[in-house]
Amino acid sequence: MKLVLKLLASFVVALVLGVGSALLLLRGGAGLGGAIAVGPWTTSAETGSADADPYTRARIAIGGLLALSRSETIYFTAATDDAGAPLRTRCAYRIIGTDPPARWWSITAYGADHFLIPNPQDRYSFGGNTLAREDDGSFVIFVGPAAADGNWIPTGEKEGTFTLTLRLYNPNEDAARDPSRIELPRIAGEACPS
Amino acid sequence: MKTWPIWIAGTIVLAAVLHILTIFALPYGIMDRAMAGIAAQAGGVNKAVYPDPVTAASRGIVRPSPDLLYTACVYDIGARPLRITSPVPDTYWSLSMFASNTDNFFVVNDRQTKAGRIEIILATDDTAKSGNDTPVVIAPSSRGIILFRSLIASDAARPEVDALRRQSRCEPL
Repeated sequence: MKLVLKLLASFVVALVLGVGSALLLLRGGAGLGGAIAVGPWTTSAETGSADADPYTRARIAIGGLLALSRSETIYFTAATDDAGAPLRTRCAYRIIGTDPPARWWSITAYGADHFLIPNPQDRYSFGGNTLAREDDGSFVIFVGPAAADGNWIPTGEKEGTFTLTLRLYNPNEDAARDPSRIELPRIAGEACPS
Repeated sequence: MKTWPIWIAGTIVLAAVLHILTIFALPYGIMDRAMAGIAAQAGGVNKAVYPDPVTAASRGIVRPSPDLLYTACVYDIGARPLRITSPVPDTYWSLSMFASNTDNFFVVNDRQTKAGRIEIILATDDTAKSGNDTPVVIAPSSRGIILFRSLIASDAARPEVDALRRQSRCEPL
């Protein structure tokens, strides 16, 4: 009887340690992010690839199932602004940049649950074909809870963290070969009510 | 003799095994759930489903793009190969295939197709290769997901792209 109890206790402890540590490790990643960083944006060279290590594969399964491999699409994800502060739905941000080197691109905001953030405007993203541009061809996208003139992605009414995913469809050859050298938009933190 | 060091060592080894099992099994489990969801919507495997554009209410697959229209089939080619046919619109479009462990083993986009149409056979081996020119893709697993992405470049383009993607088919040979 004592042995059975001991075995059971050992199994429960091992289960919590083993499965718990696996889930904890995987939860750390921001969706489609990875080891390659450009400012606050990160990506993984192995997304969708058969060469992906088991941890990358599991992380992508959780935060980016059915993502394409990088010759077709590069997915960059940001969980912080340029200063390294986590993106929060109550704060306002400006994404400032020029078109990245791809046939088509878009920036989409996702809640902490990896799904689109509910908002009355039903507006979740802007793409290279849909956004308003500055006179010099560059763009500014406002992300935050309060309405802004121009390109505005609302972050809804619930308090929480969020992430941004930048998709580069059919990236240029140089970009696909070395995503770390792509020039990407800045994410400037603005007002953040305490 | 004290036995507690053996118990601790045994627990740690078991924890490590369970850790590795979790990491390896998770992608299969998540794919299984996604396949069950798509098959339920399509009314079975080897059938296409044409979901509405994604919104915040879309909770099926994580991190969907609201700028794309997705069309999906669960493939099960254990018994028979599958014929995939689709018109190709004049916008970004891709046909991608995912194995049961989530790997993206095949992708083709609109610029890599000819004459605005595509036809592909998906099989577990190359015995499906017949006399004609239809390309055969060999899948690393007998079950998985086929996903079509169609870019909605503008609201004006939506009806035409939507009508075209509803002609995408997955049919057993």
